[in-house]
Order: sequence, then C-alpha cells, then structure tokens
Amino acid sequence: MSKDVRVGVFVCDCGTNIAGVVNVPEVVEYAKTLDYVVVADEGKWSCSVDYLTKLQGLIKEHDVNRVVVASCTPRTHEPLFKRATKDAGVNPYLLEFVSIREQVSWVHMKEPEIATEKAKDLIKMGVAKATLLEEGQEIKLPVKTDCMVIGGGIAGMNAALHIADQGFNAFIVEKEPQLGGLLNHICFISHDNHKIQSAEILKKKIDEIEAHPNVKVYTSAQIEEVDGYIGNYTVTLSTNGTNRKLDISTIIVATGMKEIEPEGQFEYGNDSRVVTQLQLEKLIGAWNAGHETGNVELHIPNTNLPIKDVAVINCVNSKNESRGCCHVGCHNSVKNAIALKTLNKDIRIHILYRDLSMIKEEGKALEEAKRLGVKFLRFPDDQYPEMKKENGNLKLKVYDILLGKEFEITTDLLVLTTGFTGNDGVDEIKGHLKVSTNSEGFFQESHVKLGPLEFPADGIALCGCAKTPTSFKESCEEGIGAAMRASIPMKNGYIEADGIVADIDLEDCNQCGLCFERCPYNAIQVDDDKQPEVVKALCKGCGLCSADCPKECISIVHYTDEQIIAQVEAALAENSEEKIIGFVCHWCALGGVDMAGVSRLQYPPNARLIRVMCSARVSIKMIQRAFDLGVAGVLVAGCEFPTCHYISGNYAAETRVRRAKRKLAKKGYDPDKLWNVWCSAADGPKFANTMREMVKQFL
Amino acid sequence: MNDSILVIGGGIAGINCALNAAKYGTKVYLVDDTASIGGMMARLDKTFPTNDCSICIEAPQMFDVDNHENIEILTNTEVRKVKKVNGKFKVKLMKRAKYVDEEKCTGCGACVEACPVSIPDEMDGKVGGVRKLVSMPFPQAVPNVVSVDPQCRHGEMRKDGACIGDCVVDCSQCRECPIALCVKACEKEGKKAITLWQANKNLNFEVKSIVVATGITNAKPAGDLLGYDVYENVITNVQFERLMNAGGPTAGEVIRPSDKKHAKKIAWIQCAGRGLAEGRGVPYCSKICCMIAAKQTIITKEHDPSVETTIFYNDLKAYGKGFWGFYQKAVDNGVRYVRARPYEVFEEPESKNLTLQYEDLETGELLKKEVELLVLSTGIIPNTRNKKLAKALKIELDHLGFFKEKDPLISPLETNVDGIYLCGGSMGPIDIAESVVQACAAAMKAVLRN
Ligand SMILES: Cc1cc2nc3c(=O)[nH]c(=O)nc-3n(C[C@H](O)[C@H](O)[C@H](O)COP(=O)(O)OP(=O)(O)OC[C@H]3O[C@@H](n4cnc5c(N)ncnc54)[C@H](O)[C@@H]3O)c2cc1C
Ligand SMILES: Cc1cc2nc3c(=O)[nH]c(=O)nc-3n(C[C@H](O)[C@H](O)[C@H](O)COP(=O)(O)OP(=O)(O)OC[C@H]3O[C@@H](n4cnc5c(N)ncnc54)[C@H](O)[C@@H]3O)c2cc1C
Ligand code: SF4
Ligand code: SF4
Repeated sequence: MSKDVRVGVFVCDCGTNIAGVVNVPEVVEYAKTLDYVVVADEGKWSCSVDYLTKLQGLIKEHDVNRVVVASCTPRTHEPLFKRATKDAGVNPYLLEFVSIREQVSWVHMKEPEIATEKAKDLIKMGVAKATLLEEGQEIKLPVKTDCMVIGGGIAGMNAALHIADQGFNAFIVEKEPQLGGLLNHICFISHDNHKIQSAEILKKKIDEIEAHPNVKVYTSAQIEEVDGYIGNYTVTLSTNGTNRKLDISTIIVATGMKEIEPEGQFEYGNDSRVVTQLQLEKLIGAWNAGHETGNVELHIPNTNLPIKDVAVINCVNSKNESRGCCHVGCHNSVKNAIALKTLNKDIRIHILYRDLSMIKEEGKALEEAKRLGVKFLRFPDDQYPEMKKENGNLKLKVYDILLGKEFEITTDLLVLTTGFTGNDGVDEIKGHLKVSTNSEGFFQESHVKLGPLEFPADGIALCGCAKTPTSFKESCEEGIGAAMRASIPMKNGYIEADGIVADIDLEDCNQCGLCFERCPYNAIQVDDDKQPEVVKALCKGCGLCSADCPKECISIVHYTDEQIIAQVEAALAENSEEKIIGFVCHWCALGGVDMAGVSRLQYPPNARLIRVMCSARVSIKMIQRAFDLGVAGVLVAGCEFPTCHYISGNYAAETRVRRAKRKLAKKGYDPDKLWNVWCSAADGPKFANTMREMVKQFL
Repeated sequence: MNDSILVIGGGIAGINCALNAAKYGTKVYLVDDTASIGGMMARLDKTFPTNDCSICIEAPQMFDVDNHENIEILTNTEVRKVKKVNGKFKVKLMKRAKYVDEEKCTGCGACVEACPVSIPDEMDGKVGGVRKLVSMPFPQAVPNVVSVDPQCRHGEMRKDGACIGDCVVDCSQCRECPIALCVKACEKEGKKAITLWQANKNLNFEVKSIVVATGITNAKPAGDLLGYDVYENVITNVQFERLMNAGGPTAGEVIRPSDKKHAKKIAWIQCAGRGLAEGRGVPYCSKICCMIAAKQTIITKEHDPSVETTIFYNDLKAYGKGFWGFYQKAVDNGVRYVRARPYEVFEEPESKNLTLQYEDLETGELLKKEVELLVLSTGIIPNTRNKKLAKALKIELDHLGFFKEKDPLISPLETNVDGIYLCGGSMGPIDIAESVVQACAAAMKAVLRN
C-alpha cells in the first residue's frame, strides 16, 4: 500500500431515512479514527447538487485520493457518485460505495444502536477496501466498418443491405451458387392474410443487393478459417477452389434452417407420392405456372397418377422429446391447402393435426380453408396416423379426438409437415466462432429474452432461422435488427469496456488453459505457446476466470483478492463469531437485498455483505479466510437460475460452493455453515428469510 | 440538421429501441405517458420460457436508459401534435404534472408513509393491491420519483379522507401548503419536492424519425364472463401474475381474494371469451397466453407442489424457441391439461369455491370441476390510447386497433407515414424476445433516416 493513501468518507443522512435510525454524527466521528481517513463528513442529502459540490470541495481541500460514500445503494446511485468523483479530479475507480440505507437503517429500524454499530462496520470494510483500490479506466478497442454476413437468405440479405446503407461494407458469404435460401423453393409467402410471390420478393432483394456499391457477394463460398475477434477478424474463404482472405470487424450469422427429411416415415423416400411441405411448394409452383385458377388437373410429377385426394400430416418430427414446435407448419399446411383448392376446387384435402397454431389474422386463413371444404382431423399427441399401402393405394388410419372416431382416408398425395434443424455446416461455424448451439441444431443466442440477436462474444450477431424457425417477416426483422447490433461498434469506431476487467500475471501461470475455456465471452485468447491473454475490451469483469485459476494469477480490477479479503478481515476483526459474511452479486442478489430494504423487512443485523459483480467471482480462498477468522456463517448469493448477468456465472458459483464445502470439511470446519441462495431482484422476502434462518441456526 | 429521434412508449420495446439508437450515437427522446418506464414487464414475475425474473433483467436496462447521455426520458408525457415539415417532424408534447419536482425528489417515500388515503391499484385490482394517493409506481421505477394522484390534487378525494380536508383554495394558487401531509413530510425531510401547484408543461422539439412502441393491454373480461364480475375468486391472468410476484401485493403468496387463504386448487381457462360477440371477447388468438398459463402453473407448483393446477384449453400455442420444452416442464411438474370448452361457472355460496362446467373435447362428456381460484386467460388487446396517438401521428390502425404496417412483407415495421416506425406490442400480441428484435430493427430504420 502506498504511503500517501488519503481516504475521504462521506456519510449520508438521506433526510431521516438513515439519520432517523443510525446515529450519523457518531458514525462520522468513528470514520475519522480509521487508518488513512483524512476527512469524514455528514451530508443531509448527499446526492443533491449542493452536497456534491461540497463533497468535491472537501476532496480537493484534503487532497483525498480514495472516496468512500456511505448512503443508499450502488445499484441506483453509484454512477452519480462516480461522476462526482471524476469531476473532483479523482479516478472514479477509486470510489467505494457502502450501503447503509438498504442494508442498515431500513432493515433494522427498531434497533438504532445495533444499526449504528453495523453502519460503522460496513464503513470500516469500505475503507479497508478503498485503501487498496487502484485506478482503472475504460478500455477501447478500435472497430472498422467491414461486416461479414454468413448466409444469403432473406435474413442475411436484409442485414447486409442495412449495413451497406450506412456506408459500411457488407460481405455476404453464401454456400450455394445463388442467394435467397429457402425462398428459392417456396411458391408464395403469406402472412397475417397478406400474400406475395416469393420470386417477386427475391428478385427485388437480389436486385437491390447487386446494385448496392457496398455489398459484395461470394456465392459457392465456404469459410475455411476465422481468426481474431471483434475489430480484427481475418477470415479465409474458399470459392470454387480458390482461397482468399477477408479482413473484417464484425460478423452476422444468418445460416437459416433446413427441413428434416422424414426418411423412412410414412414411406417417405420410397414413394414419390409422399412429399414434404417444401417439396409441395415446388409442385404448386410448377402447377401454377401457366394456369390461373379453377380446375387444373393435378398429377404426381413424372407419372400420370391423378391427384384427387390430398392428406397432410402436421407435426412430423416436431413437438416430441427432442424437438419443439416448428412454428411455420400449421400456417403452411393451411396456406398450401388453400393453394391446392385454388388450383382445383374439387380436390379433397384432409389436414391431420395436433394443435392448430394460427395466430391473430391467420385465423381468417383457417376459416377460408374450412369454407373451401378442407377437412381437419385432430389426432392425439401420442397416436400419430398410421399408413399402409393397399393395392398400391396410400391408406391412412387416424383417430379424431374431436369426433371420437377412427377414420380411414385414402390419399393420392401425402404431405408431411416436417420439423426443422439448423443448416449443414452449423458445426463448422460453431467451431470457427466459438459459439454454441442447442440440441436442435440451432445457434444459441446470448440471452433468450433480452439478447436475441447476438452471441455472448462481442461483435457477432445472429438472425433468422439460424436461431430458431421463424416466419418470413420475423426473419426480415431479425436481419435488420442484427444489422443494428453489429453496426453500433462500427459506427462508434470502437467498443468500450468498463474498467472492471481481468488481468493475468503470467509469472505463475502454468498454461493450463482453464481460463481460456471458461470465459463465457471469449475474452481470453491463447497464443501458440498456450500463453493466455485477456482482450480487455471484451472482458465483462465477472471474475469467473479469476476464482477458478488454480495458480491464482488472475486479478479483477476493483475486485482483487486482496481487496475482498481486506473486507472480510475488517468485518471479522471483532466479534467474528456473531457475524455472517455474505458475498452478494451486484445484479439480482443485491437487488433482493435492496428490495428487502425498500419493503422495510426487518431481519437480524448480523450480516456483513460484500459486493461482487458475479457470484462466480467468489473464490474458495475468500470463503476459507472467513472461516479462519471464526465467522458464524458464510453466504454466497447470486441470481436465481437461470438468470445470470454473465450467462451462467451462478452455475459456476454453485459448483464452487460445493467444492468449498468439501475443502472446509477437510480443514475441520463445519461445511454446513456455508450457504448459498439464489434470489431474484424482486425477492426481498427470500433474502430476509435466509438471514433469519442462518441466524437461527448458527447463533 | 436535427438528428434526434422520438420513441413513444417505454416498455421493453421502447427501452431497447432507445438504447440501441443512443448507443449508435443518436439523441433519443423516450416518452411514456405513465409515471415510469418499464411497461408490462415491470409488472411480471417470471418470464417464459426460461423463468428469468422479469424485473431482474429489465431493471439493469432501465438504469442504462436513465444513465445514458443520449437519452432524455419524459414520463407522464403525451404526444399531442405532430407536423411533418421538410421531412422532419415537429412534435408537441404535454408533460402532465406529477405535482413533484423530479429534480428534488429522491424517492425516499416519506410522503407515501404520511399519506392517509389508500386506493386500489388499477392493475392489481381484484387481488388486493393498494397504493397511496402519492405513490411510487413500483420500487425500481425510473425515474425513481413519486407522483401525486391528480384526483387528490383536484380535490376529488376529500370524501375518501384526503388530508386537504375542506381547503377551498385551488392548489395552483399557492406556493406552499400548510395542510397537505405529503408536503409537510417532504419538508421535514428537508426536500420541498412536493409541489401541488405544479402545472402541466408543453414541450416542443424536432426529430427526424419516430418509433411507436406503445405496447399491449390485457383484455378485461366482459362483465359477468365466466363469473368475473360476480364472483370474488375469478381473476385474470395479469392479476394472477401479480399474486405470484414477490414484489406484488401479496409478496408472492398465492392467496385468493375472498378469504385471503392459500388457494390449493386452481384452474386456468384459456381463450376466455374467444369468439364471443363484438365487445365481449377477443376474436383472435393472442399467441402468448398458453405460455403465460404454463409459466403461472410452473411457478405455482414451485411455490407449493401440493397445489392442484388444471389448464382448460383447446389448441396449444407453443410456437417459439424453447416453448414446447416449457410446456413439457409444466406437464412434468404435474400440471393437468384438459382439452375442453368451459361454458358456465357457479360459486359455491359457503366456500366461495367455483364450480366449472365444461365439455371435455376428447370424450364429449359434460363434466364439472370445483376449484378454489379461477384464472381467466383473456387475451391481449390493443392499447386504448392508440386511437388518439394514431390521430396525432396520422398513421393508420388496423381493424382491431393495433398500429398498421404499410406492407408487413415488403417493408416491415414501416407505416403509411415515411419516418414513423413500429415495434413491439403496438402491432399485436408479442412476447418479450420478439419485442426486442423489432425494437432493434426499428431503431436501425429510425437512425438511418436522414
Ligand atoms: C415450406 C416452407 C414454407 C414457408 N412459408 C412461409 C410463409 O408462407 N410465410 C412466412 O412468413 N414464412 C414462411 N416460411 C418461412 C420463411 O421461408 C423463412 O422464415 C425465411 O425464408 C428464412 O430466411 P433465413 O434467411 O433465415 O434462412 P434461409 O432462407 O434458410 O437462408 C439461409 C442461407 O444461408 C446459407 N448458408 C447456410 N449455411 C451456410 C454456411 N455455412 N456458409 C454460407 N452460407 C450458408 C444457405 O445456403 C441459405 O442461403 C416458410 C418456410 C418453409 C420451409
Ligand atoms: C400477464 C402477462 C404475462 C406475460 N408473460 C410473459 C412472459 O413470461 N414472457 C414473455 O416473453 N412475455 C410475456 N408477456 C408479454 C410481454 O409483456 C410483452 O411482450 C411486452 O411487455 C411487450 O413490450 P412492449 O414494450 O411492446 O409493450 P408494453 O410493455 O406494454 O409497454 C408499452 C409502454 O408504452 C406506454 N404507452 C402506451 N401508450 C402510450 C402513449 N400513447 N404515449 C406514451 N406512452 C404510451 C405504456 O405506458 C408502456 O409503458 C406477458 C404479458 C402478460 C399480459
Ligand atoms: S473476468 Fe469474466 S469476462 Fe473477464 S476474462 Fe475472466 S471470465 Fe472472461
Ligand atoms: S487459469 Fe490461470 S494458470 Fe491456467 S492458463 Fe489461465 S491464468 Fe494461467
């Protein structure tokens, strides 16, 4: 610790919110007695402009270079105090926030003396950490304006056009000889009662792409290699046997989907009268050519077998143990039934289904189909229709649950509405980009609800049917949205990371590679000698790598081992047997703590909480230190599964707590005194109850 | 050249639209006509299909909005008039008074404690949510300031015990108030943030594009539909969502309105009111209610596995990524799915339990089921304020009352007015992920327009 550390402590009254319970003047006097503290002051409303001006004056006057603010909660007010600290000429990473409203005055309202003691303790912990804080800074990584779009379906084309419209360069890499993907095989697209020829849309889009000076298309192209990360990817492409290199900054994955061929089911593959919806689209396209409507005679292609009866089976290879709803099937079956009826009004059509998923205005298409005489039979989830061939005829046996009867249907054409899977090549892309897929062969987005258009790693966006089956309109929207996600860093010219990042000291590193494997953001790269390096701009500071590194060579700015352990030691300096150390993640766990505060839930005052960004930051060493010092109990609290601000840090933390228990037991400590709780930011009661329960059991 | 954009509606769609545009470097005005941004998500407990906690994932984004230098949040604000001049939009807005100085209020809640009058919270209605006449919309509200109910400020709450008693002076005449308890409480805290004399404020500015993200509303059951207006223990799925919510009126306890006891037998009726005559029900499938019901049963079972949960439904909508697996999870947790058409509900006079009469669609039998709490999944309808807004913006609504795209296939998210775009629930029923996708796309279109 450098000699000239000068700490300023600023304690807030929050009107009577804090001062009504905690004896703030006493706390301020106490703070003045702590090592390195050169000034301590009380503010009635610390966040008011008046007080912030005073605070900045005091910082300058006393040459303060570490700031401790004790007030409400960092979740709402840290940005404000960070700005104030910065404006006073002190690096904002030298600020430590202590929460004495949500964690003290609001939850121990009836015990002013105990609350005052707890406030002192928390401030002592804050000062202990503050003295060890080091300067940090936001980290920028330059990003240029070249974007590679993998896949030239409607999603990819929309993405590329929107990238290009900004004056950026878009490179479409398409494995097929032509653009368009599925649209090449679909007759027309309908949506919410609108309808349009696919060929028409496709031609329009391809014309736009070809006319655009900023879009470059590589067809029949394959990606051989991808090196680097956002801002400096080098991609090796092979087109017709020749390799070329592309230097690009961002990537959009738009590789679409394909039908699962129902090989061997319902004679598919053996009998040309059994087709998939996509194959039917092609047939309708061919029949449609030259004919308008009415009474076109339909035949199985290349035969003179007439088609008078059509049966459609929905949910083939969908909605079972391994695969979900195909999303477009119900709609397609109805759309194509109407198309067949329009070609030949006398054709008899049966649609055999489980559930009809017709949404909003699509209900009208369903009515239309019924009006045209299309028959619908609902079979049970666990009893698919059976097919047999009799005298060369296709016969289906189906049980209709609505009529409670079994039917036998003879059909000239059987259409299977099959499920989908990710396109060929998903595995290679996955390997090249270090991203993940789900069991259905679709890419896994960074967050199912709020990060639908990107991967966890910065700079790689995702859209269209590559993620999950989507309708045409949705695919277009996803393409445009993905362009937005990829454009933000390109427009700014850089990406910026908060200064809370990992830093590897290579001296002790044994190149085990664990950090490289574990980082959810691909922020750790290894060179040819397996030497790890943190790409700071990509690091989110969760601390997972740090807590897992067997050689303890990774530290996290603002959350170093020393700083956290200093907090543990300060908390347990006196009466450690009465205290519970709680490591709480900044997002949900602290949210739950704050919620308990806002709701004024009263719980025992034994907790001394230490904030970490993610529960994955908590190492066994930290936990053990608390036990060494005779703590009553330790709590590791993170976000409720499956929520985690860092993808899956809480799962890592859970595993680590289990390991810690084993280790504690070996050392002769009671492993049952280590708890974890996963709580949501809305769940004040859960946190309060956990505290009550721990106190009841350990004290 | 003015390069800013206006986003109308601060739900998850509006928030994401604003954040994307702001991060891109565009100045954004984010307008919501309620007191806080957050929209429907701020009311939800968990979110299907992952059961992520709703406010846990939304609040960080709300803070980001609050702290982003390119975003100006305008709550309690209505769009009044929009005029297109030389391709840009001149917009006139009105910020309705919150009767609180937003700069001074720190959200400490002293005034809320002081206020003597509690009234039912609109959204929580039947499940007992109450709020004071001065209140914070919800704990994580952004901006984190209270507002005074205009009814109180206009003297309409006297009969309900409002502290201003029989003061006859209109608040607009005063600059201090010796009577109102909220004013006093705030003064005692040294803040003087409550300003009952505050007036509405007109705002004018120019933007290059506008995104409409005004979201959805849950349909209220028409009158006595399946006993809703008549029997206490018949509630909507939004109200059930509030019951489950640890931050809701019952702190997450699933207790029924009549006797505040934990409900042990609960049924959901899907498509409640579907296909009824005009004005009585929602005529179309709202696509997300099946997953909402699956979520609500899963969470109920997580709270207490012994609760018996039954879902009466017809067609299952499990259309999105992970939705089918989520349905299976419900089934695995012991939720009973019955394909049925419920047609009548009776209350048992003693127990206040409900007896549901239904036709089992698989067997054709007419059956009965007694439950302690009945939840109606009534469907998603357009926001009622859409009409007024459509008029101000001169954009079209479809026949259902949702905003209409010029051509959903050729130019998705665009309206009949060049430069005005749509996203989220403003166009129809939608889930959160789809709203976010559209928000990103609408932001792209909005920032690209010159
Ligand atoms: C039978 C059927 C009928 C449909 N009907 C309708 C309808 O009526 N209405 C509606 O709204 N929607 C409909 N849809 C859905 C609609 O077609 C899709 O949403 C849309 O076409 C998907 O576009 P995409 O760009 O995401 O994927 P795709 O069209 O699959 O395009 C992906 C592209 O990426 C390329 N690619 C894949 N892997 C690689 C790789 N490794 N390297 C390079 N390139 C690669 C592929 O070759 C392809 O060109 C239908 C779908 C089907 C199957
Ligand atoms: C009971 C229920 C449970 C749900 N559960 C889930 C779930 O588990 N998972 C999931 O993915 N989805 C769920 N949803 C759907 C989800 O709520 C919506 O997808 C989402 O809220 C849509 O976001 P939005 O921003 O478009 O609209 P909203 O959230 O409705 O926000 C619209 C905002 O615009 C404001 N506004 C409206 N009109 C105006 C105007 N004229 N001027 C200014 N501001 C205006 C409103 O005040 C509001 O803040 C659920 C919905 C309901 C009803
Ligand atoms: S702190 Fe988290 S994001 Fe940063 S390098 Fe380590 S594991 Fe990756
Ligand atoms: S985990 Fe630690 S020891 Fe292993 S490679 Fe990473 S820094 Fe080196």
